Amino acid sequence: MVIITTKKPVEEVIGTLKNNNVKKVVLVSCGVCAALCQTGGTEGLEEWKGILEKEGIQIVNGMVIEDVCDNREMKKALRKIENEIKSVDAICTLSCGLGVQSIVTSITEKNPKMKVFVTNNTQFMGMTERIGRFYMRCIGCGDCLLNETGGICPITTCAKALMNGPCGGMVDGKCEVGGYEKDCGWILIYNRLKDIGRLDLFGKFREARNWKDSGHQREVCFR
Amino acid sequence: MAEQKVFSKLGAALKKGDFILTGELEPEKTCDLSHLVEEAKEMAPYVIAANVTDSPLAILTINSLATSYIVQRDSGLECIWQLTTRDVNKLGIAGLIMGAQALGIKNILSLTGDHTNMGDMPESKPVFDLDSATLVKLVREMVDKGSINGKPIECPPKLHVGAAANANSDPMEAEVLKIGRKAAVGVEFIQTQVVYDLDRTIQFLEAIKKYKVPVLLGIFPMKSYAIAKGFDEFVPGVSVPPEILEKWKGIKSNIPDKKQQQDAYDQANFDFFKPFITELKRKKLLAGIHCMAVHYPRIFPKLSSIIKD
Repeated sequence: MVIITTKKPVEEVIGTLKNNNVKKVVLVSCGVCAALCQTGGTEGLEEWKGILEKEGIQIVNGMVIEDVCDNREMKKALRKIENEIKSVDAICTLSCGLGVQSIVTSITEKNPKMKVFVTNNTQFMGMTERIGRFYMRCIGCGDCLLNETGGICPITTCAKALMNGPCGGMVDGKCEVGGYEKDCGWILIYNRLKDIGRLDLFGKFREARNWKDSGHQREVCFR
Repeated sequence: MAEQKVFSKLGAALKKGDFILTGELEPEKTCDLSHLVEEAKEMAPYVIAANVTDSPLAILTINSLATSYIVQRDSGLECIWQLTTRDVNKLGIAGLIMGAQALGIKNILSLTGDHTNMGDMPESKPVFDLDSATLVKLVREMVDKGSINGKPIECPPKLHVGAAANANSDPMEAEVLKIGRKAAVGVEFIQTQVVYDLDRTIQFLEAIKKYKVPVLLGIFPMKSYAIAKGFDEFVPGVSVPPEILEKWKGIKSNIPDKKQQQDAYDQANFDFFKPFITELKRKKLLAGIHCMAVHYPRIFPKLSSIIKD
């Protein structure tokens, strides 16, 4: 699984940094998911160094971290550059939204005034076909239906995340959203359930999703 | 399923087994409903009830519940309030259903609704907390048990709930199974998407007969060549047969007088739909016809004569 990111428009990032009077930064680049998406890693770091320097922003330190989203890794990494951190206006990260928040969590205890910015837009949890082709197949809804839908997720493959599809927007197996180019998720499910001899599951009425426990502010804490 | 109670003219006609005709009213982006009320008055003598659409293709129109109330109040025509799950969550929908009851609405057509991306406010959040099947179940709980989520409603709604089906849908089996789900949660009638292909329609109706839900077949008489062509080009999944398009084109090209052209279109619709409807009626696969041609109320006397034949 990879958290898929895409690069924010350069002008947007530069605008944000300038609006915040950022003149000196530390760059933190994700070496895992963002590296795979070509929005982080070593190459991304070099690219952003060039972009920011051209804009007159000084890069005090630039580093690639394996798990920006892991608070322990981030704390360890930030400890190593404590003195440099003191001299900068902001940390800028080439990671997903988890990475940004991991840095904020890791730094606020010692440096509550430190600003943290991000160069990427986080898209989704992605399934990889090959580098450069990633597909949203799970949103982490908290109540997995895959055992009943032939291993194809209606929450992500149906544009309406319906529990009882397909809807009237399906034509010849394609979805109305996006101009009938993408497959209708519920027809993929129908075909798959037919292949495995479980069309009974397709005919089953499914209750509406229960949002009581699968909404926001979710945590998994077992220790 | 327990014996159904009757709350509306539509409910009564379906229970009695009359072969009925329903119409369709499409509100527009306006707060003035006087034109729509006039249209309703014109079709009222010929139909049992008329659907009031809920921002079809996700193109914003005045709200369908408010429209249904005004149409019923000012024209006397019973409405089938189309309610999509696109714009309101479960909590909001349940509140609207109670509101509909208070306003005298007696029929709901449960629809998933076209995605917001299709329409003129694509930046809107698509809700889809419920879908057409779970909405049917919600209505039936409110009506039959007088409760919502197991909690009693002091004065519960009393209305009928229908749903849509598409005889053109491919694979057909998926559509048939989907109707089975809606039947399982107590849908009381089905209105279909527009059909032109008689053989496919018969095949579809035979396949869903086992669910014992009355079906009103969607037809679309075409008021002009431009409408026929537009319908063929822009309504996904529905093709107008080429011979119809040719005939309508001929009327447009060969009859310059506007009144004579109108009469020719009306007659051509009659000539096409009479054998179509008569054959389906003979096969006893339908409870009636749902005419989806909006802003074409003058066709209803002719359609009504076919229905009563």
